[in-house]
Amino acid sequence: MGRQVAIASAGFSEHASKRSDVNMAELVSEAIEDCLKNAPGVEFDDIDAFVNGNMPAFEGSNMPELWMTDWMGARNKPLLRVTTGGTTGGTVAIAGYYTVAAGLPKVDTVLAIAFEQQSQGNTSVGLASVAYGEISILNTMGIPYDQLSRLLSAGAAIGVAAYQATNYMRKTKTTEEDLARVVVQNRQNAAKTWWTHLKMPNLTVEEVLDTPYISFPLRYGMVCPASDGACAMLFTTEEKAKDMCEIPVYVNGVASVANETAVLGYDGSGTGQIDPSDQIGAMKSSELAYYQAGISFPRKEIDYAEVYSPFPNQELMWVEKLGLFEETTAPKMYETGVTALKGELPINCSGGVNATNAIGASAMERPAEAALQIMGKADNQVPKTVHTSIGHGWGGSLNLCTLMVMSDEPRRKWRR
Amino acid sequence: MSEHKVIVVNKGMVRADYNFWVGRYLDKFFDNLENKKIVGNKCSKCGDVFVPPRKICGKCNVVIPLEENWVDLPDTGILKNYTITPYRVNDRTHRKAKDLLLGMIQIDGSNTAIVYRLLDLKPDEIKTGMKVKIEWAEKPKGDPSDIKGFVKM
Repeated sequence: MGRQVAIASAGFSEHASKRSDVNMAELVSEAIEDCLKNAPGVEFDDIDAFVNGNMPAFEGSNMPELWMTDWMGARNKPLLRVTTGGTTGGTVAIAGYYTVAAGLPKVDTVLAIAFEQQSQGNTSVGLASVAYGEISILNTMGIPYDQLSRLLSAGAAIGVAAYQATNYMRKTKTTEEDLARVVVQNRQNAAKTWWTHLKMPNLTVEEVLDTPYISFPLRYGMVCPASDGACAMLFTTEEKAKDMCEIPVYVNGVASVANETAVLGYDGSGTGQIDPSDQIGAMKSSELAYYQAGISFPRKEIDYAEVYSPFPNQELMWVEKLGLFEETTAPKMYETGVTALKGELPINCSGGVNATNAIGASAMERPAEAALQIMGKADNQVPKTVHTSIGHGWGGSLNLCTLMVMSDEPRRKWRR
Repeated sequence: MSEHKVIVVNKGMVRADYNFWVGRYLDKFFDNLENKKIVGNKCSKCGDVFVPPRKICGKCNVVIPLEENWVDLPDTGILKNYTITPYRVNDRTHRKAKDLLLGMIQIDGSNTAIVYRLLDLKPDEIKTGMKVKIEWAEKPKGDPSDIKGFVKM
């Protein structure tokens, strides 16, 4: 059994559609500065190792972690890069956890950093590099590249999310108003968090429904933006965390589970799924992580959740698949305010991925915000005390889910 | 593979347009190049001078503020190291071409080196440690091409 791991701090860079005032290394350094500002006693000398990651090929720079070493404070220290597509941030956080949990001599404190500067690159080329098998075949089927990139790059993988949305909406009788309501909650929450991208404090459901379809049933006003930004998290041991911060956040469960790829399956990575809203990977990762954390009744035991939802239908889907609400009941929860800031189970009070999506960083920003909510340091802090929270990520070949379960108590009920 | 069966190959071409945001520090460096000037910035802790300028000194983990510690430097330097490429770089045909000389030059007063072409020099004239000077472009544009290369002093 590994060591108990704690999060001592988390930080963000400012996010925007184009951070052309900084290069990639400088963007990353902003998040690290913010992270260390939240843990005043910590110096670079206290950090023993580094984990870093972003979406491969989106900026056209491979191995960015090696040229930004100095900007991370990682000179002459162990450095590891992990990248798993859209879930990269979640995977980087989990790799930070693993590094501490392993209990290696002289490796106690690890800084995990995830980032994306999408405005530098070409998102559709980036996606092509991730799913080239699929895309080359679609090209031969007569769907030209520019049309494809329109489907795939409008914010993120909307071409697939649209099928997910229609399937989910048919099964649960969700309406477009339900989707718009999720968007409104997110964008209004984002307005109250300093680092987010789409801040819309006065957005209404009508305004969202008034925008044109990008890919039915998803409208322009429902889709996440493409952002530039970075996120950093400081993982350390239970003992050291107590010196570094007031309220250490203990990581009590992590999981990253993939099911079959949810696209067409032409590229040989798996069969095409008929229902991309099944998301068995999410259910399996939550089963595992809750088991590790000793959570039996997620709805009762989890006080706050950050889920990875570039599109509003996904947010409804995830909160159900992760066991926070009964299947098909999520739209009702948004309508009645259960998921709002002052609700019983607040969701995505940072505005979530729907308001800010620097892809490589997004899946780390979820556990980072969820940890800050426990510490009481989030910008849009929920009024009730958060004891246990979760941070979820989705991506990979559209089929990977990462999950981190955090609590203000170290795990006591670890079952093997 | 005894059977000679044709297996489908899907070929494709992806055109990739990428940017590189240089950031404010390098931007200031390029602005100065336009006026045929070299600037660097100095770490307030170890005193190292960086050309091109940068936000963070990795040795000390110190942020160098954007508005501070700028150092005007001359357009002369010392050749620290060099290489000679007799073939066209990136040319798959291995065509012999005119020797291209590349050198690592430490600008006087700085602690870093930059890589540029060495101009008007024959391979047997090059010596590590020799003094070199920037050959500026006739019409500087404020980008890396403003320095055409370095010549012997």
